[in-house]
Amino acid sequence: MRPLEFGRLAWRAIRSHRLRSALTTLGIVIGIAAVIAFVTLGASLQAGLVGDISPDDQRNLYGWAADPDTEGGPLAGAQPVFSQDDLDAVSERDGVDAAYGYMPISTQALVYGGELSPQSDALVAAGPPYIRPDTLEEGRQFEMGEREAVINPAVAGQFEENVSVGDELTIALQGGQQTTVTVVGITETSEGLSPFEGFEPSPRVYVPTDPYYTEEVESATGGVGGENASENGSSAGNGTVVGEDALFLAIVVQAESADDADVDRARESALAYLESEDSDTSELLGDELAVTMQTSTELLQQLQDVLDLLQSFIVGIAAISLVVGSIGIANIMLVSVTERTREIGIMKAVGAQNRDVLGLFLTEAVVLGIIGAILGTALGLLVGYAGTWYIDIPLVYPYGYVALAIAVGILVGVLSGLYPAWRAARTDPIDALRYE
Amino acid sequence: MATGTAVSLQNVRKTYHLGEPVHALDGVTLEIPQGTYTAIMGPSGSGKSTLMNLVGCLDTPTDGTVVVGGEDVTTLDDRERTTLRGTTVGFVFQTFNLMPRLSALENVALPQLFQSVGRSTRRDRARELLERVGLSDRTDHMPNELSGGQRQRVALARALVNDPTIVLADEPSGNLDTDTESDVLDLFDEFYDAGTTMLVVTHERHVAERAERIVHLLDGRIERVEELEDAGRESNATQNRRDGVDGTGAASGADR
Repeated sequence: MRPLEFGRLAWRAIRSHRLRSALTTLGIVIGIAAVIAFVTLGASLQAGLVGDISPDDQRNLYGWAADPDTEGGPLAGAQPVFSQDDLDAVSERDGVDAAYGYMPISTQALVYGGELSPQSDALVAAGPPYIRPDTLEEGRQFEMGEREAVINPAVAGQFEENVSVGDELTIALQGGQQTTVTVVGITETSEGLSPFEGFEPSPRVYVPTDPYYTEEVESATGGVGGENASENGSSAGNGTVVGEDALFLAIVVQAESADDADVDRARESALAYLESEDSDTSELLGDELAVTMQTSTELLQQLQDVLDLLQSFIVGIAAISLVVGSIGIANIMLVSVTERTREIGIMKAVGAQNRDVLGLFLTEAVVLGIIGAILGTALGLLVGYAGTWYIDIPLVYPYGYVALAIAVGILVGVLSGLYPAWRAARTDPIDALRYE
Repeated sequence: MATGTAVSLQNVRKTYHLGEPVHALDGVTLEIPQGTYTAIMGPSGSGKSTLMNLVGCLDTPTDGTVVVGGEDVTTLDDRERTTLRGTTVGFVFQTFNLMPRLSALENVALPQLFQSVGRSTRRDRARELLERVGLSDRTDHMPNELSGGQRQRVALARALVNDPTIVLADEPSGNLDTDTESDVLDLFDEFYDAGTTMLVVTHERHVAERAERIVHLLDGRIERVEELEDAGRESNATQNRRDGVDGTGAASGADR
């Protein structure tokens, strides 16, 4: 008897019990859908994040100081400890191309052409290299000490009339002061330029730390030094100073190249200085804080680890669902064998071999498994698609897993169908024909 | 017309152990020549069903030999017996035993499915047989859309699809009303006239009388063999066609 014939008869049997078959496959559908959905989301998230790291960014080390026990992503628990003197010193170190501070500044609104757009946390103060040339759509980097800014498309398109290079933008800061910047560049996308900003698109104005952050600190503190400030730095209107100097929430160290060796050298060199007696930072770090310094890739790796962990967890739950689903199929197949005892007797009377009967019932279980796998895959991809659409990341279909899901469906069918099919094959035709 | 032996039982004994041994068949010797029409009669428990199962290669005897279509059933393993059953025996049951989810055509084609006959060949053959049993307009009907008589005709067509050496009918008219019964039995006569070997188990005299001879079973033994000279046959045309058949096939009921 040919496989195609098995399939035809099995399909007939399954179709004659539509509801029962549908409910039977539900366990498989849920299990496989869960895996596919999460794998799709995971792969898409990974592609979305890794896609955001440009080769030029690979040489940048992002550092911040926090309690070593703090869990979380970039800047979690960060305290402002980096002084301008330290930054200058680090940039002179071996293997370091440049070092600059990073500080988000709270804002109230952006004003352009008399039009006001309420906007908090729109201002990011950093060094000029923070604007990497490959991220610029037009214009140039801002220069240190100048009242210049680079804006992203989210800001440029926010007003009735598009902001373009050369225009002036007024920023209302948290404290109520206003400051004016000249737009010298516009970035390509509105996504964050570094892991510090996060990856979701949002309106941002990038300005040099000097004069913007230094001014901000002066006005906020009235020039009075407040040492060992322990405010969470991310709500920066409360900048802190050491002596006359502003403290930065984070440091960006640029290595000589994106080479792993160069990056490591820059990291060691920078850390060595920051933790040495010579630096202001070491004084502020005290016993509780430690400096973390990582590249975008390494920071993403942490996220990836969390994602992987979550994925293993989901796969575990899905595995349980698959086991339950298999039991469901086995159970319904056993019922089916009993129900069709007479049919088995008829088939045997007209010449069906044991292996024909075995094959018939096994095919039925496998078809159920495959249907479950296909529906589960479709559902999973759909959920994955909806998920990526919702969090706005590029969709990556994990084709390998789709093949795997089908294989699992077949495997589940075989495993759960084996015993019922064997029972069916073993049925004595004489008893079966007498069976009511 | 074949004149060999379709089925031969030599001193067959079948014992069941239900607490104490029960001899369902106790030394039965019976020859069924090809092209003959034999009826088996007997009260309940006389061993009719056991005899059917042995001839139908569904069971093996405790003792003695059963030869079906030239093959000694006792020497065959389960798989070989199944093959023999599929190719040389056609079953007709009291309760029709059609596959409920298969159409009339598919039911008739089913035995050939297990002989790995191609789909189109199968369907052509099934259609041809359905035509012969007068159901060419019912090929795509499901069993539950057919009357009892139609179902039994489908079952007969299915029994004949592999050109069997012998057709075994177990109370074929037991579930049919009188009119339908005679229609179906006429059809049996028709195929018998065309050369098919028939073995009908019944407890109704008028059904048995359609055969050439009646084997009476009692308590697992052949009580007597009754030769009929066209008793109960109605059609002269049928009789004329029968003339070529060797109706004197030797039947011997041996008893120890």
